[in-house]
Amino acid sequence: MLVGVKALKEIPRKVTSANLQSLAIALSAIVLLTIPLGAGPYPITVMVDMGFYTIITMGIILLMGFAGQISLGHAAFFGCGAYASGVLTTQYHLSPWLALFLAAIFTGGIATIIGRFMFRLRGLILAGVTLALNLVFFHLVSSLVGLTGGAMGMMNIPPLSLGGFTSQNLLFNYYLVWIIAILLLVFSLNLANSRAGRALRSMNVHAGGSEDAAQVLGIDIMKYKVWAFVLSAVYASIAGSIYAHYTRIIEPGTFFVPLSALVVIMAILGGMASPWGAFLGAGLIIGLRELLRESMPVLVGGVTGSYELIAYGIILVVALLFLPQGLISIVHKAVPKKRAIVNES
Amino acid sequence: MKVNFVRMKSAVMPKQERERDTLHTPLLKVRNVSMAFGVLAVLKRVSFSVPRGNILVMIGPNGAGKTTLLKLISGLLPLQEGEIWFKQQRLSRIAPHRISSLGITQLFQDIQLFSNMSVIENVMVGCHLRAKTGFMRSGLRLPSARADEQSIFEVAMSKLSLVGLEQKALANPSSLSWGQQKLVGLARALATGAELLLLDEPYSGLLTDEVDKLNKLIFELQRQGITILIVEHLTDILMGIANQVIVLDYGEKIAEGTPAEIQQNKQVIDAYLGGGSLESERG
Repeated sequence: MLVGVKALKEIPRKVTSANLQSLAIALSAIVLLTIPLGAGPYPITVMVDMGFYTIITMGIILLMGFAGQISLGHAAFFGCGAYASGVLTTQYHLSPWLALFLAAIFTGGIATIIGRFMFRLRGLILAGVTLALNLVFFHLVSSLVGLTGGAMGMMNIPPLSLGGFTSQNLLFNYYLVWIIAILLLVFSLNLANSRAGRALRSMNVHAGGSEDAAQVLGIDIMKYKVWAFVLSAVYASIAGSIYAHYTRIIEPGTFFVPLSALVVIMAILGGMASPWGAFLGAGLIIGLRELLRESMPVLVGGVTGSYELIAYGIILVVALLFLPQGLISIVHKAVPKKRAIVNES
Repeated sequence: MKVNFVRMKSAVMPKQERERDTLHTPLLKVRNVSMAFGVLAVLKRVSFSVPRGNILVMIGPNGAGKTTLLKLISGLLPLQEGEIWFKQQRLSRIAPHRISSLGITQLFQDIQLFSNMSVIENVMVGCHLRAKTGFMRSGLRLPSARADEQSIFEVAMSKLSLVGLEQKALANPSSLSWGQQKLVGLARALATGAELLLLDEPYSGLLTDEVDKLNKLIFELQRQGITILIVEHLTDILMGIANQVIVLDYGEKIAEGTPAEIQQNKQVIDAYLGGGSLESERG
């Protein structure tokens, strides 16, 4: 329905694409809730995995796609959540839910302290520092044997439980991860179309923003950079805590640089213009990984080894070359563009 | 050039001066401001003041230091030497966003609209200081956040309406003409509620009818009590709207006065126009 100029007394839902977003969220929720029906344990396990990646990638999109900042070390915050939950439940015997909550606060606090210093830097140096952050975290948890179990890892982390179900149950984990992913999606979309979201987008120099213009309009760009970093760290921490209570065993290698790089690739491939990009990026990469794992032995005939990884890499490079704005750009092109009101009255 | 701004209590004008600072005293005072990029002196002991509600036009050839001076006032460049006072506050080592919150904003020569947002969203960013909604309330879309959004939207629409572009609210800025983009930039600056507007070459690239429209708008803003500092090099346009004109040349203030005085000033004509007349400069 067209919006007339005289009717513009309230924020047009076209400004926020709210109708379309609500429909897409409802459809996604229905699809995600019905997927496990009739599915075996293997696809559900893959989907749980995908859910973890989706949550971390959504945080990366807030940081990189909205605020225009980079992080090549977000696996550290995923690990921070996992280890904080693990330590609080195994050594201090707190409830896993409380541990999840406290781990998020702890990770957010760490990110605040780091962010306040880190965002004085820019560009490649900033990227390098975030990478170093991941290395520091890896060596820290590997060294603190008494607290984290060191390289051997931390075991017997208690599962999350709710209403008689525990996270030892695969379906419980599936629904837990995806419900949280949907809730964080709604949170992120609300944020994107708010005062805070506009402030983030206004200072994103990689996507049409300007730090100078943002500042003369009263936006404290340092504060918003740090907040975006903290929020993205908290997303990763929540995923990390659920992961720890799901697998019940964690070790430092899981939270190393390859994971940090992978979630950035997911964000780029899915598209950083919208939190939906996290669903698309994680879905494509995990889906591709599983597809190649199934198909390559048939195509090559026998043990495939590194062939899978080579094909995986080539497909990603080609996808990025032809879709530099990510998969979300296909959706944006397909959806009718917002028209100027002048033509609609 | 980037600096780390220290959050410090900005210097407050001494009591005696504060008592003299009434509504009739200057809104902005620039005292002996000098600036150099390395060995290149861009501004040399420039002093002037802008009375409340006035339109001050600063002219000078390219490289005279006009844009640098605007950036020093808005805090985008660190002040090296001299003093800048706005109302009763010294603008020294204050971050640009805090200067904006004091009531100063700037329209850039290249506008710098946010191309990743619609026109209305651009102007809504200008309303940033009018609300307090943070990340959590926004993300949870609490009633207070929705109320803030609605009031921000209404202010933004009223500013768009003032510049006559309310019908382009949902358009992308890149789809507008250069003149319309300048007006959106102005609407965005007005949305901050600034008392002092710094306009960097607002007339550059405008068509004749757009110039007339902008002139009317600037007079309307003055009527509303907004003080305006315009930096331009198209002198003939400005002589009709300025209360006060300052001429910069190679970083030095060479003249100050009413438009009529400046037009007759031999030093200005020699230095700025190479002996030509101010009226014929534009062509």
